[in-house]
Amino acid sequence: MTEPRYALLKTVMLLGLGTYMLYKTLSGTLYFYINERFTWLVLLGGFVFLLLGLAALRGYLRSTMAHSHAANWSVFIVAIPLLLGFLVPDRPLDSSALDTRGLTTNTGLGGGAWSNVELAMPSDQRSVLDWVRSFNFASDPAIYAGEPADVIGFVYHDERLGVDEFLVGRFAVTCCVADAFAVGVIVQTPEAAEWPSNAWVHVSGEIAVGRLDGKPYPVIVAGSIKEVPVPPQPYLFP
Amino acid sequence: MQRIFNSLGLLGLAVLLLLAVLGLQNWAAAGFALPDQFFTLSTIFLGIFIEAAPFLLLGTLASGLVEVFLDRDAIQRLMPKNALAGAVAGGLLGFVFPVCECGVIPLTRRFFTKGLAPATGIAFLLASPVINPIVVASTYAAYGWGPILFWRIGLSLFIAVTVGLVFALQSRSAQLLRPTPLIQISGASVDHAHPATAGSLGQRLNRALLIAGDEFFEMGRFLIIGSLVAALLQTVVPQTALLAVGSGPLLSVLVMMALAVLLSICSTVDAFVSLAFVGTFTSGSILSFLVFGPMVDIKAVMLYLQVFRRKTVLYMVWLTFLLTLLATVFINLNLGI
Repeated sequence: MTEPRYALLKTVMLLGLGTYMLYKTLSGTLYFYINERFTWLVLLGGFVFLLLGLAALRGYLRSTMAHSHAANWSVFIVAIPLLLGFLVPDRPLDSSALDTRGLTTNTGLGGGAWSNVELAMPSDQRSVLDWVRSFNFASDPAIYAGEPADVIGFVYHDERLGVDEFLVGRFAVTCCVADAFAVGVIVQTPEAAEWPSNAWVHVSGEIAVGRLDGKPYPVIVAGSIKEVPVPPQPYLFP
Repeated sequence: MQRIFNSLGLLGLAVLLLLAVLGLQNWAAAGFALPDQFFTLSTIFLGIFIEAAPFLLLGTLASGLVEVFLDRDAIQRLMPKNALAGAVAGGLLGFVFPVCECGVIPLTRRFFTKGLAPATGIAFLLASPVINPIVVASTYAAYGWGPILFWRIGLSLFIAVTVGLVFALQSRSAQLLRPTPLIQISGASVDHAHPATAGSLGQRLNRALLIAGDEFFEMGRFLIIGSLVAALLQTVVPQTALLAVGSGPLLSVLVMMALAVLLSICSTVDAFVSLAFVGTFTSGSILSFLVFGPMVDIKAVMLYLQVFRRKTVLYMVWLTFLLTLLATVFINLNLGI
């Protein structure tokens, strides 16, 4: 590859990366990848990419580019995120990722500050993460028994469960999906086997105290289970 | 004129490609059968890349600005001559240049090409991902004013300064770096008629942007390979098995260090991630995660290898590993924090 052609390719890729980051932010699918609190960082990154791309374009047109002779193949490695980003349909982590990541039953997240928030939250607005936390923090989880629960998540069939049970799970993402951990609440329903893994469901019912790995664990005795589309923010952001 | 046509042509091609891709996406979504693991891999990879690329970008931008605004004499004048003082100064330099583990690498190399002493540069490289206002604030937010915060800062500084001093035995920074990139990069400043720090403000800024763009390509490919490896390992290696091993004063430390390397998360947020392990893991192992992770993880090592000689990287990683292990196991056994 000749030097000018190489410079042009780099220019296009810088502009492409900038476009990708801004496009993800605007289309909302950015939340399939990172915690919402880092949106500003991606926006900033997108604008800097565009700025560098425009500077490189100007340099190319006036043929005053910086004299770098980095190996030519590097251009094609930088194409990997562009190709995967634009070509592969955006898909949030789902129950197939759960097999290696496992289900977190102990959520130390948030520490003491969180338990005050939890007390103020009406029980039917709690997410699966809130319920698992409530059970972690409560000295006697039996106080929650009978409270109404209303949660959304994906179906996961865990081998530790009974035939009339499945887990309704969510991934919690602190920073980016690399640190995602799964949490879930057990759902009790006679039709458990009919729900396929990965289906997104809206479950409402009453909380009961069950057990998982010998520890008290939240169970929802299902009143109704409805299939729902993937929420715009599939992860929970602790 | 030829170049304008070329760039317009390529831009048009890019737009066409984009349209084709959008069509292809619909087709793929309609039931293109790839294994689930592929999508998981792609999502995790893009997650790491999207999070880390802006930080690397800011690092290369800082490097470009240093190249055009800071001359060699200024660094010689400002930095202490004594190795110990230099290493300590390097360890605290993160407060002046708040960059994390991706951004610090191009910046350190730039400082080396401007004549910074080895002890100071290595201490800066290892300490600044933790010893900077953003990370101190995020650790404070996660753990409050307590032993984890103090030990994280203290241990990181101690290890960075110690490793820096070991490298002080090497008298010239150039011997630490890989030979070829050094020549390429100094290419701009070797030209004595037009030193990098000459020209009008606009010219300098423009040059800084060109350098930053170039350097992103040079470093970005290693960030990408590192993120791919990390994503692949996360898709294949069961974390559940790893975590099941983790108890006991020594084993828990080893597991958390392995996890830090595996996760490759940015030091600005690792404090929040580590909260999930408080209670099930020893305090020493949480500290090892918070001290070792920012200095050594898959993507950082890939970037180190691009800049430094293989031997330098080996010593740096090995020394950091041993020091973290010794310190945190000692904390586990002797101090009940």
